[in-house]
Amino acid sequence: MTRTRVAWLALAAAVLVAVGVALSGGTDHHATAAQRADAIAHNVRCPTCSGQSVAESASPAAQAIRTEVRRRIDAGQSRQQIEAYLETRYGSDILLTPPRSGIGGLVWIVPVIAVVVAGGALVLALQRWSRRSLAHPSDEDRALVARAEQR
Amino acid sequence: MTAIVGHSAALLGLLASTIGGVSLVVGLARGRTNLVRAAWSYVWFVVAAAVIGMGAMEFALVRHDFSLQYVAEHGSRHTPLLYTIAGAWSALEGSILLWVLVLSIYLAALTLRHRAQREDPVFGWALVVMLAVAAFFFFLLLGAADPFHTIKGVIPTDGPGPNPLLQNHPLMAIHPPFLYGGFVGFTVPFAFALASLITGRVDEGWVLAMRRWTLVAFGLLTVGIVLGAWWSYEVLGWGGFWAWDPVENTSFLPWLTATAYLHSVLVQERRGMLRVWNLSLVTATFALTILGTFLTRSGVLESVHSFSESGIGPLLLGFFGVIVVVVCGLLAWRGDALRSPGMIDSPVSREAAFLMNNLLFAAFAFVVLLGTVFPLIAEAINNSRLTIGRPYFDRMTGPIGLALLFLMAVAPALPWRKASKGVMRDRLLVPAWIGGITLLALVVFGVRSLAALVAFSLGAFAGAAALRQLVLAARAARRSGQPWWRGVVGRANGGMIVHLGVVVVAVGFAASMSFVQRDEVRLKPGESAKVGRHHVTYLGVDHVKYATRSAERASVRVDGGRVYRPALSKYPFATQAIGTPSVRSGVIDDVYLTLVTTPSDPKGTAVIGIIVTPLVNWLWTGGLIMGLGTAMALVPGRRRVPTAPASQPGPVPEPEPVAV
Amino acid sequence: MTSGVLARRRVAPWIAGAVAIVLLVVIVVAARAKPAEQRTADSPLLGHRAPAVAGAVISGPAQTLDYLRGKYVVVNFFATWCVPCRQEHPELVRFAAHHASLDDAAVMQVVYGDRASTVRSFLHKNGGDWTVVDDPKGSIALDWGVRGLPESYLVDPKGFVIYKITGGADDSGLEALLRQAKAGETR
Repeated sequence: MTRTRVAWLALAAAVLVAVGVALSGGTDHHATAAQRADAIAHNVRCPTCSGQSVAESASPAAQAIRTEVRRRIDAGQSRQQIEAYLETRYGSDILLTPPRSGIGGLVWIVPVIAVVVAGGALVLALQRWSRRSLAHPSDEDRALVARAEQR
Repeated sequence: MTAIVGHSAALLGLLASTIGGVSLVVGLARGRTNLVRAAWSYVWFVVAAAVIGMGAMEFALVRHDFSLQYVAEHGSRHTPLLYTIAGAWSALEGSILLWVLVLSIYLAALTLRHRAQREDPVFGWALVVMLAVAAFFFFLLLGAADPFHTIKGVIPTDGPGPNPLLQNHPLMAIHPPFLYGGFVGFTVPFAFALASLITGRVDEGWVLAMRRWTLVAFGLLTVGIVLGAWWSYEVLGWGGFWAWDPVENTSFLPWLTATAYLHSVLVQERRGMLRVWNLSLVTATFALTILGTFLTRSGVLESVHSFSESGIGPLLLGFFGVIVVVVCGLLAWRGDALRSPGMIDSPVSREAAFLMNNLLFAAFAFVVLLGTVFPLIAEAINNSRLTIGRPYFDRMTGPIGLALLFLMAVAPALPWRKASKGVMRDRLLVPAWIGGITLLALVVFGVRSLAALVAFSLGAFAGAAALRQLVLAARAARRSGQPWWRGVVGRANGGMIVHLGVVVVAVGFAASMSFVQRDEVRLKPGESAKVGRHHVTYLGVDHVKYATRSAERASVRVDGGRVYRPALSKYPFATQAIGTPSVRSGVIDDVYLTLVTTPSDPKGTAVIGIIVTPLVNWLWTGGLIMGLGTAMALVPGRRRVPTAPASQPGPVPEPEPVAV
Repeated sequence: MTSGVLARRRVAPWIAGAVAIVLLVVIVVAARAKPAEQRTADSPLLGHRAPAVAGAVISGPAQTLDYLRGKYVVVNFFATWCVPCRQEHPELVRFAAHHASLDDAAVMQVVYGDRASTVRSFLHKNGGDWTVVDDPKGSIALDWGVRGLPESYLVDPKGFVIYKITGGADDSGLEALLRQAKAGETR
């Protein structure tokens, strides 16, 4: 094996080890109540600001919502229930991300479809190009040559 | 009086651009070169009209001429001079005036720079397009967005001044001119793209002519966007700089397509390929600036930038529709002539990498555009109200950004046509190891967020790859007897510096998003709090009266050092107190202080907001590096014969007379 | 490309046409969009039972919203630092005085982010003898989905929210809404 090959393999090994350590560091799946409240707060729009989430805004409305979210988390409600409650008060546009079902789901699925279609087209195009090398003239090329020779 | 001057200037601009455009069209269609040559002088009337118009507006603002409705609504005797001057572009009508002024500057530059090519039909048709755009904007100035509208009845003696948020910080004064320098600058390559389609000269001529123009517009737009983000951070009080707000998105969309275009033209110059991509990208860039102007000025989307609603919306949308029809029509007509006989030989080649680049940027732009207009679409379909906010954009664009970082590292090392494995291995080994070492170091330091780890190590990889190119270029310059700095100027090397700037921005972005710490603390005078590795001590509050506002200022000492003064200001015409943050900037992190609630008495408890954001200054520094890199790319590089596109047909030999 | 040699597939018009159609659809959608400000006057509360208005009463009679069942009630959220709120205040005074004698409608106010003492002195100077409830934690505003000031809600005698008014209310506008509501009732 050449020296550069060894160097690449060593790098790959080091990277895998590092990523493994990072991932296995024990991601705590049981987030604390504060963390769960914070996660929901990042998804709720501050109603009196322009575009900030209630987690980032210091306005009274944002504080009231944060307090309410925390109260409901402590009372054992799930994220869906809390978000549904806020929607009944402020309307469905209080959440910063649309739900995955219904018309909001379109905005999640359309980009994925577009990427898949584009990726597929790219793969097909690359295959077509690699098959058609200069050594194999196409029918069009043959016809061109034939006509030129006739003149 | 000023109104008359202003209106006359707008009328002059409209007439000059219309007559000039029409006579150019007639001259070009009928082949009358003297008419074509004469039509170029109409440009100077357009320039004069724009300069006089803006001059009249500034005169009215500075002299507090409240008989003009624009000055009465946005001017004030108490506003400092800088913000009074910047008030010319702080609201809708004035911003159209700025657009027209920047457009006329570009027209003047084009006329002067390409004096010798005045009779070339491509340049003629490009001028037609630019004059048509100018005519449209002058038309707006005369009707829907008239900045010189006079008040009927009682003339007020003073005005409310610009929105308080717009007179907080000098960045606000320079952010729009840079941004418009970028937006309007893309009119030039757009005009030339249309001209090449109209004349049928779809080869590489227009692309080569437009190289510098596109770079200038790109550089100005990049700096404009970064300035906007910086201003948002310093002024708005939430400690962030990018909220995927509709107006931010509409400024970002043309940047994305322009970046894709800048890279993709390299393939067209080298091999005559990707012509349809390039034409589509450059026309999309211009069309997106018009669509963006519509979205931000029509009031259909809520935003921190909301301009007042006016009749300008339908006109801008109509203009966008005209552009769509014209461009699609031209591409339908000439599109099949654009196909090149060249093709991509291998997936591991620079051409393929640039194609991948185009696709990634197109996907990025598609996602941002979809998210921005989706609330309108959802409302049209079943009347539901949705918000598409930060979490959506972050989640959807994050992977694309990381893929672009990876491509940025690998692509400059890829050779044209086909790469052999050995070449790639040798070129990328050191940069890849630097990325790997960064990853190891971060894991050792305790960083566990996968997104941040990937972003930082890819950033190190890409940064090292860019540095490698620069070092090699400098060495090559020395070896060929030129000074070493020739290796850092010129298009390719300037591009590597811009890539370095992108890496700095990406690292700053990842760090400030993943590791920000916020807290709100209630403190009595003398009490302290700790956020992250910083101590803040609240010292007390005082009351200050300025000419334009009254403010409550808190004194907060950070880390036992300087005292910072976040404030809450009350402006006479606003409905709420406006918060003024105070920021302690550092290389590693920023301590961002806001006064959330003032105490009811001087010895009472105040609520202080503290946000510690790591590496946020890397964003502005990276933006500056990108601007510098663009400037350096404009400097002529080493003298080199430009490579003729490989697909260019050779000369056809004369047919031999056949001996009978 | 020399013409007339070979007919190559004319792909360009199809693709260009498809792109143009998609963009024109986007343009039509955008053209029909309502301005953002108009949307705030919709509320998910419309047609639903009004949430409670429960808090410390800082001015006026100590009544809850339920106590006023049987009358139309204008529930108004305001603060003294809000300029449009101060501008609409005389309109509310006029409306309340007119309907106090008719005994068919009343006004109730909720304080949003303001000090009770400031509110009391404002009412003392500018009139307004209706129930004013303090909302220091913002929970009432949250319950009603208040997005900005001033906002007013018209509650019918059965306790259902029937209108939301954003921005300043004025006397004639309120009268018109009241007439509309009463006409709808008798249908």
